[in-house]
Amino acid sequence: MAETLRAPFLAYVGAVAEEVSEGYVRLALVTGPQHADANGDVHTGALTTVMDSVIGIALGTLRGERVTRRPHATIEMSTSFYAHATPGDELIAEGRVLQLSELVAFGEVEARRRGDGELLAKARLTFAIPAART
Amino acid sequence: MRDDEGRGSGVEGQGLEHAPSPFVQMIGAKIEEWREGYVRLSLILEERHTNPNGVSHGGVLTTLMDEALGAVIASVRGLEAMRAAPHATVEMNVSFLAGPRPGDEIVIEGRALKVGRSVAFGEAEARRRGKDDLIAKGRFTYVIQGPRNG
Repeated sequence: MAETLRAPFLAYVGAVAEEVSEGYVRLALVTGPQHADANGDVHTGALTTVMDSVIGIALGTLRGERVTRRPHATIEMSTSFYAHATPGDELIAEGRVLQLSELVAFGEVEARRRGDGELLAKARLTFAIPAART
Repeated sequence: MRDDEGRGSGVEGQGLEHAPSPFVQMIGAKIEEWREGYVRLSLILEERHTNPNGVSHGGVLTTLMDEALGAVIASVRGLEAMRAAPHATVEMNVSFLAGPRPGDEIVIEGRALKVGRSVAFGEAEARRRGKDDLIAKGRFTYVIQGPRNG
């Protein structure tokens, strides 16, 4: 649970961890008026923030101590948005690591609305891992 | 153009329509320029914007890029058209090239590539002020929705 709080921005946005296991993470965000975009819907950025962190944290569960010396960083994020969320909705983002190798890692995340379970967005992320210093 | 009280506020003298969205106001970014086909936002990075590596969270950049491009498309379509049939992000592809740190001022520029009747495309770039190195680049696709009920 303490895992999420390690990203100050994630905590600032208000997300909480529901499950953190080997290569799998589920985060939740209860949205409010502060998360609104210009149309009054939940800002895509609130979703992508949580989705990016899902994979960042999931990679941490697999990489352990290596994260400190060679921190992984998002280099690509491709997201499709299927439906709006409305402030007040609770969002659930769950994702898993698809592959982790020496210098690169891939993950996939889905964001749904709690309650009706509607799929709101789906993202694929690529992370880079700095080479070990010799 | 820049004033100490300007954080989170819209472009001076252009009315509330050009103020940032609530989420972007919460992040603390401001709109520096807003004209047809071009919008520029800026944000001075703080600790609260970071990830565990101490650099900007990717979500900060995707938020500001989408905000800039949503505003760019509004600038081309006109606020009346946008209110009648809002546009919504359907695809977002962002490359992160460098990790800016607290104290860095990020500048995000958004440009419309094409604004059609039902689909619009835009491109955003994020740079560090002063250094002008590219830190992130995004391509976004928007769908112009039918009028909303109610």
